Amino acid sequence: MTEATQTWEAPTIQLRSQRQRLWRTFVRNRTALLGLFLMLIVVFTAIFADDWFIAVFEGREARPLLAPHDPLKQDTRNRLAAPSSEHPMGLDSYGRDTLSRVIYGARVSLAVGIASVLIGGVLGALLGLTAGFLGGRVENILMRVTDVLMAFPSLIMGLMVLAVLGGGLLNMILAIGIVLSPTFARVAHGTTLSVKQNQYVEAARSYGAGNLRIAIRHILPNITSELVVLASIWTATAIRVEANLSFIGLGISPPTPAWGSMIRDGTQHLFNAPWVSLFPGLAILITVLAFNLLGDGLRDILDPRMQQ
Amino acid sequence: MKRTVLAISVLLLLLVALSACAPAAPPAAPAEQPAQPAEEAAAPPEAPAQPVVLRYADKAADLGTMDPHFAAATQDRNLVDMVFNALVRYKPGDGSVFEPDLAVELPEPELVDGKQVWTFKLREGVMCHPSEQVPAYELTSEDVVFSLQKSANPDTSAYAGEYTGMTVEALDKYTVQITLENPISPVLFFPKVADYAGGFIICKKPYEAMGADAFKTHPVGTGPFMFDSYSPQEKVVLKANPDYFRGRPKLDAVEYRFMPELNSRELGLKSGELDVINGANEGQWVERMSGEEGILVDVYGVGEVATIHFNMTVPPLDDVRVRKAIAYALDRDEFLALFGPPVAANVYSQVPAQFLPGGLTEEEVKELGLDYAVDREKAKELLAEAGYPDGFSLEVVSSERESYLKPYQSMQAQLAEIGIDLKINVVDHPSMHQLIRQDVNPIVVYVAWRPNADVYLTRFYHSDSIVVTGAKPDTNFSHYTGIDDLIEAARIELDPEKQIQMWKEAQIKLLEDMVSYPLLYMQQVTARRDYVDYGHELKSVLALYPQITENTTINK
Repeated sequence: MTEATQTWEAPTIQLRSQRQRLWRTFVRNRTALLGLFLMLIVVFTAIFADDWFIAVFEGREARPLLAPHDPLKQDTRNRLAAPSSEHPMGLDSYGRDTLSRVIYGARVSLAVGIASVLIGGVLGALLGLTAGFLGGRVENILMRVTDVLMAFPSLIMGLMVLAVLGGGLLNMILAIGIVLSPTFARVAHGTTLSVKQNQYVEAARSYGAGNLRIAIRHILPNITSELVVLASIWTATAIRVEANLSFIGLGISPPTPAWGSMIRDGTQHLFNAPWVSLFPGLAILITVLAFNLLGDGLRDILDPRMQQ
Repeated sequence: MKRTVLAISVLLLLLVALSACAPAAPPAAPAEQPAQPAEEAAAPPEAPAQPVVLRYADKAADLGTMDPHFAAATQDRNLVDMVFNALVRYKPGDGSVFEPDLAVELPEPELVDGKQVWTFKLREGVMCHPSEQVPAYELTSEDVVFSLQKSANPDTSAYAGEYTGMTVEALDKYTVQITLENPISPVLFFPKVADYAGGFIICKKPYEAMGADAFKTHPVGTGPFMFDSYSPQEKVVLKANPDYFRGRPKLDAVEYRFMPELNSRELGLKSGELDVINGANEGQWVERMSGEEGILVDVYGVGEVATIHFNMTVPPLDDVRVRKAIAYALDRDEFLALFGPPVAANVYSQVPAQFLPGGLTEEEVKELGLDYAVDREKAKELLAEAGYPDGFSLEVVSSERESYLKPYQSMQAQLAEIGIDLKINVVDHPSMHQLIRQDVNPIVVYVAWRPNADVYLTRFYHSDSIVVTGAKPDTNFSHYTGIDDLIEAARIELDPEKQIQMWKEAQIKLLEDMVSYPLLYMQQVTARRDYVDYGHELKSVLALYPQITENTTINK
């Protein structure tokens, strides 16, 4: 009995030590830690912009929590007012508090960044895994389609998809997800080709496991770490594409605050009210930097080649 | 090895840096140039006079058309204004005064068999610009008849509706007679033959020689400036017409540049690369730019009127209580603050009383109790009465342009106060125009200038003008049919006072039924270097630019 217990505990200890090793590597990477810290601030800001979590239970509209003012409240008579103690980032061209809009804007950026990467990741992983695993004609067709999609710059591709689907948050997420999917497909395809040569795949096949089972149980878990690294890096790209699309007016409908459209609103007033564009621009910079640093850190600890 | 490479690299960098600092080499002399005698060579060559070119930057991204009978966008109207003349013209810089242009004088109408006859004597010696196909030639009544008939033809003009019931004939080489089935007052007649829209006179021979399509980018008229070149999305160059009948222009050329970015235009003006720019419709911008050294800012009419039209066939806007509730929820001063004086001002009737006879003044509207002063409690009561105590949702499309997006977003915030959720989908400007003419918007914000009360009322409120389903679909977004009789009666009324009274009655009815909510007018804003003199006082220009004529000068 004692022997049996020891036999079952051994892998758990091994796994825990593996996690601890990865965590120690990550903690030693200061830039990655900075990325994580900045990302947590952005996430915290987005979640606690208002008290939605209380309002849901009380059946009322959410009230600003971190945001000092209602981001939609217009004070047109004081529009473009300079930063002050009441409005630390000034007022925009409609007299709305820029700080509150920057805080609420984090929601749109994170929602688009995370959701579109999830869509792109799932879609791309499915395509790449199928192509790599099945090979032959299926692989050829899927990867050539991917090549065609990758030939378009992400912004142009996003523009084309939005031109077909129309504007709005959901369409924006879908558009960016489609834009990102070829990159995930390429990585998933390459990794699948490598993983499927492993002996444990051959062993599973010799035990009579079907294609679907092998793909899901044996290949997918082994390509996930590569995809996670990619996701963290491409979240930054997704946020940047969202800002670009919002900037050219194809993004979120007004009056919802989005950093890209806030910058666009301020371009008319760059010389007399630079704060209208400056602060959402800084918010984009910090968020994109956070995801890039975090992505680099994750790559360093998860990619064995980088460790060498 | 590494050191050698480093040394060579540093040396190369130094060479590159030195060559960058060296003065630009003079252009090499042509090899076949004969040797000059020593004295002649020593004498400084007489520099050719620099052409005087006015560089104007507009906010448009590109040209639409330079066929004046289709020109509707501001940049198109600006350009055709410099290239073409008409029988009569609005005095340069003052759109409230008519004066003769191609005609020798302003005629008096005659009544012949119940029809109204206007006889124009043309100036002699007015020359059509030369073109590739046709050399310069004298404009005669044949050209005038051809041009006005083109304006009346819906296939060749966007303004054909203005010329219904009008026949034009040439009595002799320099006499043109226009006969109207129904007599109208001079206030309504002269705009039809003035230098705006269908009134512009084009030259027949070049139009026929090059065809309608080529004419759009190679216009030929009689104006002070002639078409020279067009670079898509960059500029149109017009050059001085040496044979202009009012004398050769003082400018040699006008470069009309397309620069949609305000900041680029502003930087261009400040650096002296541009002479005149289209500014921002904002009081703050006017104030800031006025403080810049060497720059003058002009704010002038005509004021384009922003009006909120309600589609009366769409629930819940088919209920007058809902429309009135919206009117009571809106605060004109909130909208006004977005643009600010001196650029914008409130209007209280559909025809702007500040610019045109026939509009209702603020005092008149307030006396009638039709100003719908902001009262959100009353608005909520009216909504509750109409069965919408919790409000409702509406979805609209808006242009990305500030002049549209600002009123829509301000309206969105104000209507939210009474529970109305207005969803705004932002599209590009041409798409918005297309969509609202397909009747997609329950509420339409429209910004426009029209030359007189009749045109305002006919195009926005006559049943023939109802979008999609009207006999001549135009811009009746509200589907209103209640003032056709007043519009038609006023049109043929020859007594100006009675005519004005009828127009006012029509607008009172519009306000009582809350068909549309008159919001504000926006004036034109341009900034110029202080060495630019337009050659006229700037009060109001229908073409929505400061007007560049033969008298415009650059005094550097």
